[in-house]
Amino acid sequence: MIELIIGLLATTMATSTVLILASIGETIVERGGLLNLSIEGTMLIGAFLGFLGAYFTGNLWLGLLMAIIGGIITTLIFGLLVVKLNLNQVISGLAINLLTYGLCLYFFRYTFSQGAMPYLKELIYPLPIPFLSQIPIIGPILFNQTIFVYIALISAPFIYYLLFRTSFGLKLRAIGEDPSIAYRLGINVNKIRYMALILEGILVGMAGGMLCLSMFNVFDVRITGAKGFIAISIVILGRWNPIGALGGAIIFGFTEALSLWVGTLIIGPLSASMSQLLSTLPYSVAIIALLIGGRRAKGPAGLGSPFLKE
Amino acid sequence: MMEFYKSLYRALLAIAISFAITSILFVLTGANPFLAYYYIFFGAFGDLLLITETFVRATPILLVSLGLAISFKCKVWNIGAEGQLYIGAMIGTLAALSMGESSLTLLISILFAILGGAAWASIPAFMKARLGINEVITTFLMNYVAINLIQWLLAFPLKSPETLFPESARIPSSAIFPIIINHTRFHLGILISFLIILPLMYFLMMKTTFGFKVKAVGENPEAARYGGINVGRTIFIALVISGALAGMAGFFEVSGIQYRMRPTISPGYGYTGIVIALLGQNNPIGIAFASIFIAAIINGSSTMSRMLNQPQGIVDFIQGVLIIMILLSDMILRYLEKKELILR
Repeated sequence: MIELIIGLLATTMATSTVLILASIGETIVERGGLLNLSIEGTMLIGAFLGFLGAYFTGNLWLGLLMAIIGGIITTLIFGLLVVKLNLNQVISGLAINLLTYGLCLYFFRYTFSQGAMPYLKELIYPLPIPFLSQIPIIGPILFNQTIFVYIALISAPFIYYLLFRTSFGLKLRAIGEDPSIAYRLGINVNKIRYMALILEGILVGMAGGMLCLSMFNVFDVRITGAKGFIAISIVILGRWNPIGALGGAIIFGFTEALSLWVGTLIIGPLSASMSQLLSTLPYSVAIIALLIGGRRAKGPAGLGSPFLKE
Repeated sequence: MMEFYKSLYRALLAIAISFAITSILFVLTGANPFLAYYYIFFGAFGDLLLITETFVRATPILLVSLGLAISFKCKVWNIGAEGQLYIGAMIGTLAALSMGESSLTLLISILFAILGGAAWASIPAFMKARLGINEVITTFLMNYVAINLIQWLLAFPLKSPETLFPESARIPSSAIFPIIINHTRFHLGILISFLIILPLMYFLMMKTTFGFKVKAVGENPEAARYGGINVGRTIFIALVISGALAGMAGFFEVSGIQYRMRPTISPGYGYTGIVIALLGQNNPIGIAFASIFIAAIINGSSTMSRMLNQPQGIVDFIQGVLIIMILLSDMILRYLEKKELILR
């Protein structure tokens, strides 16, 4: 039994990692006053380019690099629309989600029009940390994971430091509260926002890449399954704080791991039914959590509003 | 009238630029873009059967986007129409199955579908109006709850024992819309949507106090509040109406086309509706034309894909580009005016 629970918690760390990376990325950008709904499409591009890169070069790390570059390009396109052209952030985000979905579907079918479903021959395997991974219980859960998990765990305090202890973070948060005042104080609003978007692109692209390079060895246009939107809910529940996002992401990762776990645990006809029913769990939990915890959530004052230089 | 021409300009400009950008994809994959657009047009309007099929496709999109238009006009971004559609279809099917054959089955099932969609939308509507929780996130996440839940229902408890697929039993024949044009799928629901629901929504949005309130809240909620409008209630009702119409669209698909509830009832009409509400610029007449337009693109693209051996995905791509171009069209129009390239 104890092994099963350790297995569940170790899976939780893996499923959480995608959400940790994405919600921390979104936290950075929302602190600068931009509501980026295109995070779903950004993650999809990361997964798609990660898969293509790894499939054609045979090198998983080149795949990861492609995923990150794809993530940066997608967030910069969002930046072009909402920072440079000042378009509606909600609609621009949705537009990019549709656009990336169409592009990935089109080019995936175009590239692999014939033959069997393409798959990667290997995945990025766990990298056990010497000594630490030998600790009973905690070792296999925390220290026998892929590099993504370590990056995600380290990035939470790192981004916290960046946001709350550096001048970049101070400027970014000032922009998030009121971009016009920040502009009058001499802060280069657009430049700081682009920098935040690039950081988000790296993190979310990596999260997408992780889906194809270390969790599933195949690509499907539905692979992200609203994880981007769950990440946005986590940002609210974590009160726009990377440490809060880390905690929230682990809770959601647990619900996802639970539905995978039940599928393997119970044998027989009940298993498929239970597993399918539990697949609604992360989404329902998100709604209920927002209903309870979203009430007094107060984000950056300027979140989502356009910024026009006089 | 000036405003009307301006909206028309904007829509046509957005369509033209989107077509031009999509041509790049065709060229990249070695297809002739002119031929591609010819096949799309032919596949949508080539003969009577194809024309009726375009209307079959346009109907759920019309209903969804009419509802979304009200909520968008209120600046409430309901992106949960897909889930509301599924819930409406499911509840309507359950009502039809439990009522059996009777003269009222169709009417009551439609009412239940409307209530189902409205009830599903009332959850995010409450969260938005009362608790100030961003509706974009809640409505979207609720799509996944709805669709996963319905997939489960159809695969296990409600699965029809006669078939191998995850689908409900066949609804009673008195719950089925009669076919209007023989040898096609052109059913009564299409006429109801275009000839009754469309004028009703036009009236509601343009000629009633509620329509005025929606507009006022969308343009400036603070001013609306000073003017004595209950902003929260207006937002709530607008979102619930959009859910009701999405629910209706869902059951119209069951009653007019599928005759069973299936987990594939909508190939994304809830999302296409967003594009159409924006392209039609929240005007019901514009939305009617825009739904036929996008239905033609969807149907025509499958003909085009077959003829030119093109992969799927073009339709979603065009929709994404269309939204961006609608947003940009104001800017482009202003630029053209400044350069005096078009008449003011």
